[in-house]
Parts: sequence; C-alpha cells; structure tokens
Amino acid sequence: MTAPAAPVRKVVEVLQPEAMPKEETQFTVIRRRFMRHKLAFFSLILLGLIFLASLFAAQIAPYGPTEIEIGNAFARPGAVDEATGKTHWLGTDHLGRDYFSRILYAARISLTVALCVVIFSTIVGSLFGAVSGFYGGLVDDVGMRLVEFMLTIPDLPLLLIISSILLQSPDIVPVPKAVIDFTAAAMYISSREALQVIMVILVLTAFGWLGVARLMRGMVLSIKNMEYVDAARALGVSDFSIITRHLIPNAFAPIIVSASLALAGSVITESVLSFLGLGIQDPTPTWGNMLSFTQDYMFQHPWLPLIPGLPIFICAMAFNFVGDGLRDALDPRLKR
Amino acid sequence: MTNYLIRRSFQMIMVLFFSALVTYTLLSLAPGGPWEALLSQQGSETRRIDADDIARVRAQYELDLDNIWRFSRWLIGWPAGPIKIGGQEFLGDFVVGCYKPIQETNALGEPIIVGCEDTVTMKELEGRRTSKGVVFGDFGLSWGILRDRPVMDVLWSRIPVTLQLMSVVTVLSLMIGIPLGLISAIRQYSVFDYTVTTVSFLGSSMPTFFFGILLILIFAITFKQMGWFYLPPGDSVSSRAYVVPLLGRVEAKSLLDQFLHMIMPTTVLTMFSVAGWSRFIRSSMLEVLRQDYVRTARAKGLLENTVLVKHAFRNALIPFVTIVVFAIPGMFGGAIVTETVFNWPGMGRLFIDALSRSDYPVGMAIFLISAFLTVIATLLGDILYTFVDPRIRLS
Repeated sequence: MTAPAAPVRKVVEVLQPEAMPKEETQFTVIRRRFMRHKLAFFSLILLGLIFLASLFAAQIAPYGPTEIEIGNAFARPGAVDEATGKTHWLGTDHLGRDYFSRILYAARISLTVALCVVIFSTIVGSLFGAVSGFYGGLVDDVGMRLVEFMLTIPDLPLLLIISSILLQSPDIVPVPKAVIDFTAAAMYISSREALQVIMVILVLTAFGWLGVARLMRGMVLSIKNMEYVDAARALGVSDFSIITRHLIPNAFAPIIVSASLALAGSVITESVLSFLGLGIQDPTPTWGNMLSFTQDYMFQHPWLPLIPGLPIFICAMAFNFVGDGLRDALDPRLKR
Repeated sequence: MTNYLIRRSFQMIMVLFFSALVTYTLLSLAPGGPWEALLSQQGSETRRIDADDIARVRAQYELDLDNIWRFSRWLIGWPAGPIKIGGQEFLGDFVVGCYKPIQETNALGEPIIVGCEDTVTMKELEGRRTSKGVVFGDFGLSWGILRDRPVMDVLWSRIPVTLQLMSVVTVLSLMIGIPLGLISAIRQYSVFDYTVTTVSFLGSSMPTFFFGILLILIFAITFKQMGWFYLPPGDSVSSRAYVVPLLGRVEAKSLLDQFLHMIMPTTVLTMFSVAGWSRFIRSSMLEVLRQDYVRTARAKGLLENTVLVKHAFRNALIPFVTIVVFAIPGMFGGAIVTETVFNWPGMGRLFIDALSRSDYPVGMAIFLISAFLTVIATLLGDILYTFVDPRIRLS
C-alpha cells in the first residue's frame, strides 16, 4: 500500500465548523429568535429609553412636577420662561405646571406601578397555581373555586369600589410605615402619595394574580407527570424544592408572555383608575389623571389630551409587541 | 342535564351569596354617607347633638344591630320582628343589637365600646322601616344621588339610555365583527387579513378613554373649528337646538339629535368589541379550516362557498357562543369609562357618580346586579354550548 501523498488531517479539523456548531445557551436561542421580530425588538428599546428617562427624571426635567405658576397657564409648547430661562417643551397645564416634566415624573409612577403589580401578581399567582396543581385534590378544588369565583365577578366595578373606599379611609389596610417611607424615598414623593401608590398596587395585584394562577396550575398539571419530577421525588427532594426548582422554572415560558401582556394591561388599568379620579390623585402626576384634566380644557386647547394620552398608548402597544415577540420566541418550549 | 343544572345552580347561588357578602362588607366599611356627616357636625358648635340624636340616626340606618342581623335584614328582609307562629310570639326578648352603647376611651385615646345601655330586642324590630331584602330586589335607599329614594328608582331611570347605547353597540359589533373575523381567516395572509389583524391589535391596546377623547378631538372640536360637519361631543341629547353645517338646524331631543349624539360612543365601544371578537373568530375559523371534514367536503367537490357556509362557519362560531353571552351583563352595566368620557347618562356613569359621591348603596346595587348577570351569562354560555355543539355532553 502506498502512503497517501497529502498529510492526513483529522476529520475534526476539516469539518470543524459543521461538526461542532457553536454552543448556544437557551437564553441565546431565545434572544436570537426574539430579535427576528423587528417590531418587538424596537419596542423593547423604546421601553428601555422610557424607563431610563423616568429613572433620571430629576436630572432631565427642567421643572419640578408640582411647580405651580398660575400666571403662566397654557403656555404654548416651546415657550421660554423669562425668569429662569428654561423652556416648556410641551407647554404648561391649567396651573402653569410644565407638561414635559410632569410626563417624565408620571412615567416613573405609572411604570413603577405596572412593574410592581406584575411582579407581585406573578409571584403570588405562580406560587398559588403551583401549589394548587402540585397537590391536587382538595387543595386544588378549593383553590380553583376561589380563583373562578373571583374571576366571575366583574373586575372593573369591584376595583373601583375598593379604590374609592381605600381612597377615603386608607387606614383600613395596615401598611407598615417602613414600606411607605421606602416607596416615598424611592420615588421622590410624599408619604401620603406613597400610600396612594401602595393602595393602587395592592388593589391591582388583588385581581392580577388570578390569571397567572390558572395558567401556572395548568402548566404544573402537565409537567407534574414528567420523569424528572418522579426522579426528584425518588431522591427524596422535599415538595417545596420540587415546586421551586423543577416545576416553576419549566413552566415559566407562558408566564413570561402573560406577564408582559399584563404589563400593558396594568398601565392601562392604572391610568383608567386615575382618569376616573379613583386612583392616584393630583398633584401627583400620572398619565391618567393628567388626561382627565386635559379633557376639561380640551375645547380651548385641542392638542392637550394628546400629551398624556400618547405615552399611555405607546407604552401599552410597546408592551404588547414585546409580549407577542416573546410568545413567538419561546414557542417550542410551550408545552401544548 | 338536570343534574348538571342543579349542580351549577347551587354553585351559582354560592357565588352570589359570597358576592353579596363581599358587597355587604365593603358597604359597611365604606366611609361617607349621612352617618359621617352627623358625626362631623357633632364637633361643631352650631348644632348640639346629644346621644339621643345619635342613637336615633344610628337606628335609622340600622347601625345599632349586630352585624349578622344587619346582613340578614339587608339580604332577605328578616328578622323584622319576633317569630310569629300560630298567633303567638316567640323570641321577643332576643337581643339583636345595642341602641345606646357605652363608650369609653382606652389607653390609646381611641373610643371603644364597653357595654350596652339600651339593647334592641326582636320585639322592637317590629315597625321599623325595613327593606324587603336584596334578594327580592330592594336595595335600600340612596345616600346621595337621590337622597332617601329607593335605589331601584335611580337604577330604573338610567336603564333606557343604557340599553339604547349598548344594544346598538352589540348588534353592530356582531354584524361587523363576525364577518371580519371569518373573512380574514378565509383569506389568511392577504392584505385584508393583515389590515384586520393590525387594526384589531391597535384596537385592543388602545385604551378606550384615549380613543374616545381622540374622536371628540377630531370630530367635535377640530371639525367645528374648521367649519365642517361636526358631531356634538357629550350627553345623549342636547338641551338646545344647534346648527350643524351640512345638516342644517338640529332640534333638541329630536331623533336626528339622538342619532348624532350616539355616533361617537357607539364607534368607540364597537371598535373595542370588534377588535376582540374578530380576533377570536379568526383563530377559531383558522382551526376549523384545518380540520379533516373541511378537507373531505372540498374533496367531495362541493363549491367553496358551500363548504364555508354549510360546514365551516357554523363550527367556527361554536366557541364564540361562550364569548358573546358576556354581552348580556354589558348591556345592563353599560361602559363605565366610555360613558364618563362622553358624559353619556347611563349605568356606567351612574356608577362612577355614585362612588365619587359616596353613595354606596347605588354603587353596590349596580355591582351586585352586574355580578348576578355575569354569573347567569356564564351558566347560559355553558348550556348554549351543549346545544350548539352535539359533541359536548354535560355529565
């Protein structure tokens, strides 16, 4: 046998790129699929910008959110204040407060409320649904009856009733002073306003966890019979560990999708509450209550409602797009 | 079927009972109302109110009874006196409440009740003004909107206007939403489909109040400033005649006036319903079109029209039944946000007015009736589903 003329090269060297594809973590896969949706990706960037702007509201906004200057009411957009030289980029409202600054501060409150509501309702709902699905039997029955009962009741009227009661007598729900102080410090608002924000968050969470609980329960029911759960049980892993380390992480894909859609819903619901006067009150700016004021003055200054209304619409749309993009990106992991 | 009905009715009653309980708890926690006004006057010097006055007003609002008896009187109007059997009275001396409690301030400076000076017995309940009970349709008296008038009167006055708006909205949504959903499913991926899905998406992420305000902005304000044909922006009828370019003079409260006023709220609500319903029908129809029986029908050589009309449509609309029954509580409850934006004098606006004026009996009545109608609608949906889909059998 003659020796081959060319030196022998290992197969691996020759075929390296095809034989060993680049390792991708799950997160990278999802991220790649998500970025294919240009709209969702763009919405995510937009939301990030809005979030940053609201975080640095104190630095970006030329005025404070409650600086009243009655003589300067309804200044045109772009008007410059002679005394201080700062421009009112979007004009002033009926009390002379700068719209641009108020929008930024309102973004902080609206986004914080939406984020907190979704985080809390996801935590509560996931735990509730996971426990209910895992144990089954009486626990499941009672739990799901409760969820169905609360889902049957029309939510907006009840939400409004509870909000209006809490508004007038907030001491019904005991909130620890430390929580109020923390909220007030984190959002640069007074403690009375912080209490209102906490009330709104509590009220919205009280209805938000129901959908997540049902979703999680369904997912847990289908995952519960997988072999790795049996293996974990055979190894003697405690129930709590099984739920938190196996069931919940594997059920999380639809939860994430529903959470991002719930963010859109929370922004809208919070602004509806404030618009109707039963959420966060003036002078704390939030897009909803700013919109209710602009409605009064709409006939003389027609462009006014667009100023607080567009951010609500844009944020809700952006969250919806992100949710849709996430749903497509996470699709193969959804167990149907 | 009867088994199922009995079980579901029992569940319904439980749900309604708990709703009533929740409502009642909220009502008793609710601040405001004539009681608070009296308390606030107690501190002032202009009117001297002594303990007898307070006790009398408390008795008038039944605050002197124990909670459980108050709840049962609110719910079913009993106990209204000692139990009468065969002309004899029993339990006449049973204590049901405290007419004049003894108040003291405790260590923290808060008033607490330590005892009872004058109790209320069942016998004394006789002759008190009582309602017939919520179950029998008596929701008590209004605290603010129509002071001391029955809540049902207040509600009845708003129902015609609400029905006027919501029935038109429902019919229009059905007439527009169903065809849109079906056609966009048949022509999937076409321009039509793309437009419809995008508009639905926009419609469901746009908050209704913003859309309403936008419409007012465009059609009532901008058009009027431009001298074009414009729509009147609020209420259900105008109080004076006005002139609209293109239509001439419109008399107040005429049919044309009502029609013009109704256009914008109807558009907002219909858009919202159509967005949701057409998406649902579209996905349901897409699923039906993938089924084997549709393929068989086509393979048999039936005209596409026949396949669609005789087989696909009917099956696609089955799940829709469960969604459309929820229009029933909507017809009664109106649309809270849209009515506020357009100042439409319907049930939704009444609800907001009641809450902002602390007239909780009216608010609770609306809520309870809405809950009742929603529960009935759910049950109706489930029953209709079995009629429409023969594959479903209720155990």
